[in-house]
Amino acid sequence: MPDLSFVFAQSLSGLTAAMFLFLIASGLSLIFGVLRVLNFAHGTFYMLGAYAAYQIVLWLGTGPASFWIAALGAALAVALLGGLVERFLFQRLYGKEELYQLLFTYALVLILGDVAKLIWGTQQKSLSRPPGLSGAVSLLGATIPYYNLFIILLGPAIALGFWFALQRTRAGRLIRAAALDRETLGALGVNVNALYTGVFVLASFLGGLGGALITPMRAIVPGMDTDVIVEAFVVVVIGGLGSFWGTFLGALIYGQVLSFGILFFPRFSIFSIFALMAAVLIIRPWGLLGRPLR
Amino acid sequence: MSVRRIPWVALVFVAALFVPTLGSRYYTFLANDVLIWALFATSLNLLVGYTGLVSFGHAAYFGIGAYTTGILMKKAGVSFLLAFPAGGLLAALFALVFGFFCVRLTRIYFAMLTLAFAQIVWAVCFKWNEVTGGEQGMPEIPYPDFGWVDRLAAFVPVLGGYRTAEQFYFVTLILVAACLLILRRIVGSPFGRMLATIRENPERAEFIGVNVRRYELAAFVLAGAFAGLAGGLFGIFNRGVFPDFAYWTKSSEVLIMTLLGGMGSFWGPAVGAAALIWLNQQIVSYTEYWPLVLGTILVVLLFVFPGGIAGAVTLLLRRSRPGVARA
Amino acid sequence: MTRLLTLLVAALLALPVAAEAQKPIKVGMPIPLSGPAALFGEPASKGAQMYVDELNAKGGVLGRKIELTIRDSKADANEAVRVARELILKENVDFLVGTLTSAEGPAVSVVAKENKIVFIAPIPKTDQLTAADKLHPYVFRVAANTTMEGRSAAEIVAKWPVTKIATIAFDYAYGQDVTKAFVEHIKKIKPSVEIVDQQWPKLGEQDYNPFINAMMAKKPEAVVSSIWGGFFVTFSKQAKALGMFDAVKYNFIGLGEAGSPETTKSMGADYPVGIWGNSYDAFYWDESSPAHRDYTARISKYLKDEYPSSWAIQGYIGMQFLAEAIKKANAADSEKVSKALLGLTVDTPAGKLTIREKDHQANRGQLYGKTVKEAKYPFAIMKPVTYVDPTKFMD
Repeated sequence: MPDLSFVFAQSLSGLTAAMFLFLIASGLSLIFGVLRVLNFAHGTFYMLGAYAAYQIVLWLGTGPASFWIAALGAALAVALLGGLVERFLFQRLYGKEELYQLLFTYALVLILGDVAKLIWGTQQKSLSRPPGLSGAVSLLGATIPYYNLFIILLGPAIALGFWFALQRTRAGRLIRAAALDRETLGALGVNVNALYTGVFVLASFLGGLGGALITPMRAIVPGMDTDVIVEAFVVVVIGGLGSFWGTFLGALIYGQVLSFGILFFPRFSIFSIFALMAAVLIIRPWGLLGRPLR
Repeated sequence: MSVRRIPWVALVFVAALFVPTLGSRYYTFLANDVLIWALFATSLNLLVGYTGLVSFGHAAYFGIGAYTTGILMKKAGVSFLLAFPAGGLLAALFALVFGFFCVRLTRIYFAMLTLAFAQIVWAVCFKWNEVTGGEQGMPEIPYPDFGWVDRLAAFVPVLGGYRTAEQFYFVTLILVAACLLILRRIVGSPFGRMLATIRENPERAEFIGVNVRRYELAAFVLAGAFAGLAGGLFGIFNRGVFPDFAYWTKSSEVLIMTLLGGMGSFWGPAVGAAALIWLNQQIVSYTEYWPLVLGTILVVLLFVFPGGIAGAVTLLLRRSRPGVARA
Repeated sequence: MTRLLTLLVAALLALPVAAEAQKPIKVGMPIPLSGPAALFGEPASKGAQMYVDELNAKGGVLGRKIELTIRDSKADANEAVRVARELILKENVDFLVGTLTSAEGPAVSVVAKENKIVFIAPIPKTDQLTAADKLHPYVFRVAANTTMEGRSAAEIVAKWPVTKIATIAFDYAYGQDVTKAFVEHIKKIKPSVEIVDQQWPKLGEQDYNPFINAMMAKKPEAVVSSIWGGFFVTFSKQAKALGMFDAVKYNFIGLGEAGSPETTKSMGADYPVGIWGNSYDAFYWDESSPAHRDYTARISKYLKDEYPSSWAIQGYIGMQFLAEAIKKANAADSEKVSKALLGLTVDTPAGKLTIREKDHQANRGQLYGKTVKEAKYPFAIMKPVTYVDPTKFMD
């Protein structure tokens, strides 16, 4: 019979995974909500964030703050890249069919993936946890690493910060308006193109940040872009494409399913993502908190 | 003599008949590959180009067809004559079940569900060691029995003297040609025209009393069936069936072929298949960075030639025709 | 005048023969150069290339140079088959040396069989490659196989003061086979052992936390893992954070080359020093032969790396066996070379290896050792590191 400390440890693992996914998926959700396009390249921005963080740490050396500077620097670099891609390439596809926009993001995956391979090669890279957060605490008989706790707290912090920004600031209101009715917004004189660029930059920042922050917990390898994009999709679909809190909820659910799923269906974790995605799309396609989009 | 009047398709078919005699073993190999992918891509275009449904999981049916034909021929010793249509049939069945759920959705949701089903098919093939050989797949699928050809060659000498791989190439050529002709009839029929109507404006079609979902499901099943047939051929051609036949990268490859060739034309995807395969094997001899090249080609296509090769050719022909008003 | 003419005619007649002798021997190498397996595939291809370059500098074999064509198989059986067939049909290669994954190997083996071309596999470990029903005259392996690896590990773990063991492996052929070989053998040599838990993350898993938690709940005294490459890095970072290594007092063995210099180097201070691991090669293998030390110096220079990869040696050995077999057969013809390979013993940098006639498998063992922190290097190394001869593990 599973004892309390085991259940507690398992649910915290689920929470950590969930918060990472939320960080990454929130950018995906934002782009879909406002630009109405599923950005396949979001996983690539995540990967570039990881590689960039590694590179910056390499330049700065191992000081107490170098990880945090690297994480921020990486996120900003990826945000810049996202902005440039959107402004000079993606914008030209806005009038065209959705399929073209989707395929363009896929082309980015191909191109940027190979660029990363050109720069950093195929050997795995690894970053250590930052000095301040390298220990662990013992709670209810389970060992909880400090870094995991940091991520668990960061997730809701970002969610709340976001929510506040969307509800209370002007930019936030514009974003929400654009998600509802972009034509009217344009007619009202708002520079919708600049808004779109801004949204893309913000989403890329989040993706890059997610990649940078995950480096203490995972190896940086080629192929990490395609791994994460599918998981991010599932999270967004469960929660509801375009719904912000939906993504948060979707991440929470997915994290726990992963954690406890291996206890009930030990050798079927290969199915879990897609079975879950299929189930949600069949039963309730607009997700838990999304708007029925026909 | 207008370019359009030339019976291009018939010419290509006749030329294809001579590849084994005039070309090397390698060209037979390449031509065989192109034929199968041409069928696969054309089947996808029934969904994408003609019905306006973008599927990200078409490789599922390709894989199901390949595994069905492969398992029947290798493990049950069933003859190719039965195993080949069985592949198409089983793929159609799965397309019916999966498609039923998929056509209830639209656009990105539709695409994502097709992807989810395809990945589930992949996962089953990957894990079911006993039946599908698991992640190692089933290497060594037997060729169809060509004994009858050799016996016939005694009377009809032109049939003799071919290697097994070449004999299979002819079989592929004839079967693919037949399938493509059937597909051509389908898209030209009232059914096909109805699909185009649905693609243009599903709501309007609904308004005039068309059961959109039923038509979409029919298209889905037909596309799946022909993809399954292509898969059955590919398993034999490839000398083995592997789980990644159903993986999303295969779906993306065939989608790119369809786009490259031109979704708006019937023969576009076939041209796209030939172009992509040729391009791939040219590029990989020089560099390992094929994804970079492919991605760049895709970007160029999307921004400059959204109609693909067929679209570009049509544009060229229109411009060169005298007396036609420049659009 | 007639003398000159005769000489001229003789020279002209000799020309095509000489030209034939000058034609290079073409070898095709389908191997992953992209994706997670590129970590092994790329250095292996470089090791093979180095051998070819050195051999060609000395005049090649039988007076002919070797031309190596390396292509990316993407660690995908389907792609490997395509690449192999292109190499045979378009590039007209005479031999195939390559493939990496346990799916690629058997798939290309079929192509080799149908085209009657000698195929030497330097890395795939699956028993399927040389199993009785899959064996044919043209396939050979110079890598260890899962039976050898699992049993070698069992012998080591049997010496530990533990009885409760947990295993963790990817849920696919390699992970399943090596775990099975380990479990069967250790139960035979130490019947008191109890396998308390078995975890099967999917291939390519990124989040091992749930598996580690589930495993630790069963309180094992030792853990046997076959998680490899970049995935081992991810796994052990997460395991270390959760205190798994401490909980089992570092009674952990990482098969799948977790003790290799690449892995310890990339992890730096994060590496769980104190665990056991294995590796195909180690540049710091002090008790090795002069041949090995010489090889290490050369590969270090070739790769421009002070701490060269441990995977290059497999590509090197694969090519070495091919070249030696061509020499022995005195022909670059697959029929003759395939017979020459049977029972062939080659003095490789990893010692004398012999391809046995029974199943075309070379007795390629691996280096095993407990990792320690050594002041000389900025990363952990295995010390003492022993080459485990697998001959007694081969049925």
